[in-house]
Amino acid sequence: MSSHAHETAEEFIPYIVNPREDTGLYNAKFGIWLFLASEVMLFGSLFSAYILLRVGSFSWPVQSEIQNVGIGALNSVVLLSSSIFFIRAWVALKADDVAKYKKFMALVILFAFIFLFFKGVEYYQHFSHHEYPKTSVFLGLYFLMTGLHALHIIGGILVNSFYMGPGMKIRSINKQWFINRVEVAGLYWHFVDLVWIFLFSTLYLL
Amino acid sequence: MEHDANRSEFKRDILIYVLIILMTGLIVFISHLRLHVLGIFLIVPIACTEAAILAYYFMHLMTKKKTVHLILLLTVIVFINLLFWPAWDIVYSPRTPSEFTAF
Repeated sequence: MSSHAHETAEEFIPYIVNPREDTGLYNAKFGIWLFLASEVMLFGSLFSAYILLRVGSFSWPVQSEIQNVGIGALNSVVLLSSSIFFIRAWVALKADDVAKYKKFMALVILFAFIFLFFKGVEYYQHFSHHEYPKTSVFLGLYFLMTGLHALHIIGGILVNSFYMGPGMKIRSINKQWFINRVEVAGLYWHFVDLVWIFLFSTLYLL
Repeated sequence: MEHDANRSEFKRDILIYVLIILMTGLIVFISHLRLHVLGIFLIVPIACTEAAILAYYFMHLMTKKKTVHLILLLTVIVFINLLFWPAWDIVYSPRTPSEFTAF
C-alpha cells in the first residue's frame, strides 16, 4: 500500500486506517466494540429473563428431553468451524492472497447457511410436535432467543457476502482500510459464535 | 518470518478450535448424566470457559487496548445489575395467596 493511498483515504474520514491517539483504536474497531457491548446487554437481558423466569417458576421442563441435543451440538461445531474459516480468510487477506480470502469467506457463508438449515430442521421438529412459542414459557424463550440469534446469523451472512463481493471495491482505494473492515466483521462473527455457546448450554443442556 | 508467525498462529487456532469442541462434548456428556443442580454448577463454568477462550484468542482480547477492556467491564457491570435487581425483587415478592395477603 502506498503512503499516498493511505493519506488519501484518511483525508475523507480520519482514523479509518490509523488508530486514534486517545483510544488506541481505529474508528470501526472502536465502533464495533461499542456495538458488541450493546449486543451483550441485549442478549444479557434475555438470559437474565430466562434465569429469573426459571428460578421463579414452580415447574420447568427437562430441556434435554424436548430439545434435539445432537443437532444443537452439531450446530456448535458448524459455527465454530465458520469462525476458524473467518480467521483463515483474514490472514489470507493480510497476506494479499485474494483468491484464498474469497475461498475461505465462501466457506464461512456456506457454514452459516448449514447452521440455519439445521436450525430450520429443529424448528420443523418442534412445530410437527405442536410445540410453539405459546406452548410454554420455556419454548417462548427458546424461540425468541434462538430466533434473534438466527437473525444475527443472517445479518452476518449479508455483511460477509458484501465483503466478498461489491465491498471489495474498498480494497482498490486502500488495502489496509479493507483489511480493517474485514477484521471488524470477524469480531462480529466470533461474537455470534460466542452467544451460541451460551445459548446451547442454557437452552439445551441445563 | 511473517509466514512462520502465521503458521504458529494457525496451529494455535486449530488447537483452540479442538479444545472448544472437546469442551462442548464434555458439557453434552455431563448433561446426559442428569446431575440436576450439580450439572448446572459444572456446565455453566465450562461454557463460560469456552466463551472466554474464544473471546481471548479469536477476538484477540489478549492484545486489545485498555479502551476495549473498559467497555467490556462497564458492560459486565450493567449485566450483573440486570440479573441482580430483578432477582432481589423476586426473592422479596409474595408467591402464594397467603403471602400476598400478608404483603
